[in-house]
Amino acid sequence: MADGSKLRVAVVGGGPGGYAAAFLAADLGMKVTLIDPETNPGGVCLYRGCIPSKALLHVAKVIEEARQAKNWGIEFGSSQVDVARLRAWKESVVKKLTGGLGQLAKQRSVEYVQGKAGFENSNTLRVERTKRPPESLSFDRIILATGSRPAVIPSLQLDSPRMLDSTGALEVEDIPRTLLVVGGGYIGLELGSVYAALGTRVTVVEMTEGLLPGADRDLVLPLQKRLEKIFDAILLNTTVESLKEEKNGIRASLQGKALKEGGKLFDKVLVSVGRKPNSEIAGLEKTRVKIGPKRFIAVNQQLATDDPAIFAIGDVVGEPMLAHKATHEGRTAVEVIAGHKYTFEPNAIPAVVFTDPEVAWTGLTETEARARGKQVKVAKFPWAASGRSLTLDRTDGLTKLLIDPENERVLGVGIVGPGAGELIAEGTLAIEMGALAGDLELTIHPHPTLSETIMNAAEVFYGTSTDVYRPKR
Amino acid sequence: MTEFKLPELGENIEQGDLVRLMVEPGTRVNEGQPVMELETDKAVVEVPSSVSGVIKEVRVKEGEKLKVGQVIFTVDDGAKRNGGNKKKEHPETPELRAATKDAGRATAETAAPSAQPLPPPDSHEEPRRASEFRLPELGENIEQGDLIRLMISPGTKVLEGQPVLELETDKAVVEVPCSVAGVVKDLHVKEGDKLKVGQLIFTLEGPTVAAPPQPKPEPVEHASGQHGARLAFQAAIQAEGKREEQALPPDLPFHPPPAFQLPAQLGKVAGTEHRPPIPAAPMVRRLARELGVDIYEVKATGPGRRISEDDVKAHAKQLLATAASRAQVPRSLAEPKLPDFAKWGKIERVSMRAVRRKTAEHLREAWNTVPHVTQNDRADITELEQLRARFATKVEEAGGKMTVTAIALKIAASALKIFPQFNASIDLERGEIVYKQYVNIGVAVDTERGLLVPVLREVDKKNIVELASELAQLSKKARDKKLAPEEMEGGTFTITNLGGIGGTGFSPIVNHPEVAILGLSRSRMEPEWINGKFEPRLILPLSLSYDHRLIDGADAARFLRWVAEAFEQPFLLSVQG
Repeated sequence: MADGSKLRVAVVGGGPGGYAAAFLAADLGMKVTLIDPETNPGGVCLYRGCIPSKALLHVAKVIEEARQAKNWGIEFGSSQVDVARLRAWKESVVKKLTGGLGQLAKQRSVEYVQGKAGFENSNTLRVERTKRPPESLSFDRIILATGSRPAVIPSLQLDSPRMLDSTGALEVEDIPRTLLVVGGGYIGLELGSVYAALGTRVTVVEMTEGLLPGADRDLVLPLQKRLEKIFDAILLNTTVESLKEEKNGIRASLQGKALKEGGKLFDKVLVSVGRKPNSEIAGLEKTRVKIGPKRFIAVNQQLATDDPAIFAIGDVVGEPMLAHKATHEGRTAVEVIAGHKYTFEPNAIPAVVFTDPEVAWTGLTETEARARGKQVKVAKFPWAASGRSLTLDRTDGLTKLLIDPENERVLGVGIVGPGAGELIAEGTLAIEMGALAGDLELTIHPHPTLSETIMNAAEVFYGTSTDVYRPKR
Repeated sequence: MTEFKLPELGENIEQGDLVRLMVEPGTRVNEGQPVMELETDKAVVEVPSSVSGVIKEVRVKEGEKLKVGQVIFTVDDGAKRNGGNKKKEHPETPELRAATKDAGRATAETAAPSAQPLPPPDSHEEPRRASEFRLPELGENIEQGDLIRLMISPGTKVLEGQPVLELETDKAVVEVPCSVAGVVKDLHVKEGDKLKVGQLIFTLEGPTVAAPPQPKPEPVEHASGQHGARLAFQAAIQAEGKREEQALPPDLPFHPPPAFQLPAQLGKVAGTEHRPPIPAAPMVRRLARELGVDIYEVKATGPGRRISEDDVKAHAKQLLATAASRAQVPRSLAEPKLPDFAKWGKIERVSMRAVRRKTAEHLREAWNTVPHVTQNDRADITELEQLRARFATKVEEAGGKMTVTAIALKIAASALKIFPQFNASIDLERGEIVYKQYVNIGVAVDTERGLLVPVLREVDKKNIVELASELAQLSKKARDKKLAPEEMEGGTFTITNLGGIGGTGFSPIVNHPEVAILGLSRSRMEPEWINGKFEPRLILPLSLSYDHRLIDGADAARFLRWVAEAFEQPFLLSVQG
C-alpha cells in the first residue's frame, strides 16, 4: 500500500463532502488545507440548505400539530409568529453547528482558509483570502468539493426582492401573504410547507404530471393529499410563461391543462427548479480535469478526475446531489489518496423529502425497476394497520419493500409518513447487508413503533402478516 | 491484330508450365476472363485475359513452359477492344490476381476500368450494384486461416453455396462456400494469404438479385459517395435476401429527457458501474477491492447468494493458485532471442504452416501446464500376433486393417472404464475434476502437413473390426486434408504409435486437457525367460505419459500393467473390458 500519510492535501469547498474529506485526511496524518468562502466549514448544507430548512420544517410541524390538537380536545388558539426570533433561532442552530466544525478543524490542525481558490496548475492553487493579497499554494493532491447552486430559468429571472431562490427563502425576511413556488421537487415542497405553516397562501406549479418527479407515485400520493389541504393550489402540467413585477407583487402568467385564469399576482416567487454543479472553477483549464455531461466534473469510481493530482466529490460530480452522498464520496476519495483500493460503490443511497408526511426511499424504486425491466415483488404495509400511527393520529403512511423474486433479497424500501426519514436508515442497512425479506421478518422490532412497519411489510411478502388479513386464494 | 502476352506473374516468377488452356481459335474472350492455368514454383494460377475479342491464333500448347512476355494468342483486329482509350496507360498485362504479392492493390488500380465491359445497351445508365463476399464464420475459435486454393477468378460466375476457396485453419482444410451469387469482379486475396474472418474476399458485379425498378436512374458519375454507399448497401442486403427494413436496426424510441428529476436512483450516480447491487455487506465489498477480487465473480455461500468475507477470501486464494500456475507460462513464453544463423552458413526461412504453428502452441501449453511423468512397460504380444494374422482378412473385408493401433484402441477404452481418472480433466479454476462419461480416443496421424489427431467416438461401444475400419477412414481423411475441425475435437485420451517407424520407447506429451497418452513403439522379438529357458517372444514397448497433478505414479503403473496384460491375454477384454 502506498503511504499517503505524508501528503499535502487541499480540499476546495467546505460542505459536508469537503469537511468530511479534510477531517479524515487529517486523521490519516495528511497535512490538510480546507478552503471555503464562509467563516467556518459547513457549506450550503449547513448555511443555506439541509440544516436551516430542517429547523424551519420542525417549526412548521409543531404549528400543524398544534392545529391538529383540536381533534384531540386541546386548543392553543391561533399561532403568533415572531419572525425575528424564528430567524434568530434558526441562525443559532447554524452557528452552533458551523462553529463546532471550525473547532473540529482546529483540533485536527486542518488549516482553514476563508477565501476562494483557482488553479495555476494541477498542483498549485491561487488562493484569494478574504481581505488579503492572493497567494500561491502547492499541494500533492487537491480535492474539489465545490458543490452546487440553485438553477435558474433565464426567462423567469427578475431583479426584484420579491424573487427568491432556496437561499433567499431560508432567510425568512418576512411572511408573504402569497407565494408562488415554481417547481414541485423536494426543495419547493419543503419550503412551500414552511411558508404555508407560517400563514402564507402557497401555490405550487409543476411542469410534469406529478409532484416529486422520479419518486414512486404511491409514496407521493399521501403527501400530495395533505399538501392539497395546506396549499392554495397545486398546479400540475403547468408552466410559468412569464413573470412581471408590478407595484403590489409579481404577476405570473401560467399555462396549463387545468388552468382557467392566465395571470395571478403573488407577493413573492420562489424558483426551485433544481441545482447546478459549481464546475466553473478558475484555471481549471490549466489542469487535465474534464467536464462531462450536464457540466459535472468527470470522475471514475474512485472519485479521481482525469488529472492524477485532482479528485472531485459531491454535487459537482453528479446526481444525486445529497449531502450524505458527498460525505461518503469525500471519505472514499481520501482513502484512495491514502493508497487504499476503495471505490464509491454503495448499494443504496437514501433520499428523504422532509415534508409532512416525510417521503423516503432507498435502493431500487418501482419507477426505476419498471424502467430497467427488472422484475420485483412489492410488499406494502399500510400504516392504518399500525398501532403506533393510530396513537399519532397519522394513518396516512405506507411502508413498502421491493423484493427480488428470485432470491427474496430486499432491493429497495420506500416509506411515506411522519418520521419516514429516520425509518429509512434500516432499509438502507438491509440493502447494504444483502438482507432477505426473511431477515427483516425475523428481526424483532420494538413495539409499538413505526419501525415495526418494515418487519410487517416483510410479513406481508410471505402472506403471514399479523396485522393484515389476506384471504387465502 | 492484338496479341495477348503472358503478364507479370509476381515477384521473381518468370515462367511457368501451362497446365490447361481454356481457349482455342474462334473463342470469344472478354477482358478478365480466365484463359489458362499456369503452374509456377509457387502455385497453380488462372491467368485472365487482358484483351477482348475473338481469338485468331493460339501460339502455345498445354505442357509448354511459358515465359513472361511470351505471346499466348492473338485476337482479331476487327474485334473492338473494350475501353481501348482508357487502357492506353495501363500495360496490356494487368497483374495476376492470384499470384501477385500486391494483388489487392493491383486489382484496385487496374480492375476498376476493366470491370466495365460493354454494358447492355439499355442498362448503361443504371447504377451498378456491387456486392461482396467476406470470409464467413468458420466455427468456434477459428479466426483465420491460410488460403491454399482459390477456385475463382475475376469473371467467374458464382452461385450461392458454391465452394470458392480452400482454407487451411489450425484444425483442418475447409472448403468455403460462397454466400452470394453473381459474377466475380475484383478479387482481394491471393493464394498463400492469411485470411481473417470478415475479410473481404471478392466483390461481385452487376445485380445479384432481380433489382427493383429504379424510378429515376441517376448517372453513376454523379452519384455522391453517400449515394454509392447506399446502393452498395442495398445490393448487399438484397444478396442476403433481406429487405432494407430488416437489415437496419429499428430506430430507438425517442424519450424526451425530463426537465428535472429528484435523483435518488443508484444507477445515476456519477462514476458507478452499471451493474446490479451485489448481496455483500459493505465491508465485504471493500475487502474484495483490497484483494483485487471482482466481487461479481465470487461464489456465494450465504442465503439468497449472499457473499461472506470467507467467500471473498476463498475466491482470492483460488485466484492466486491459478495465477501461480499460469505465471509459469509467460516465463517460458519468452523465447530466448535467436542468434543470427546466417553467420555460420546459408539458411532458408520458411513460414510455419498453420498446422505446425498450432501444434507448437498447443504442445508448449501442454508442456507448461502438465507435470509430465512417463511410465514404461512392455507387452508380450506373441499370441496376439497370431490372432491378428487370423482375423486380418476378416477385418480387411470390412475396409480396415487389423493394426496394433486398432487393438490398442479397444484395450485403452476398456482400461479407461476401469480407471476413470485417466478419462478425466482438471478444472483448477473451479477446483473440480471432470470425469467424462464417454470414451473418445484420438489417434495421432503423421501427415504431410504435420501431426493431426482425429478422434474416434464412443470407442468403448465399438468392436475391433469397426474401430479398424473407422481408423482407416479417418487416417485417410487426415492425409487427404479432408478432416473437419469437429473430427479432431472432444477426445478424452490419445494413442500415438511410432512402431511403424521404429524405436524402443519415447515420452509422448499429454494432449492437454486430457490427462494421459499411450505411446506404442516397434515390437520386436526378444528372448524371454520362460519356464527356465529363453524363448523368442514378440515384445511391444508401451509408454504412458500422464498428468501427475491428477494421476499418481502407482495408478499409472497399474493402468499400464492392465493394458499390457490385455495385450498379452486378449481374453481379459471379454472378461473385464
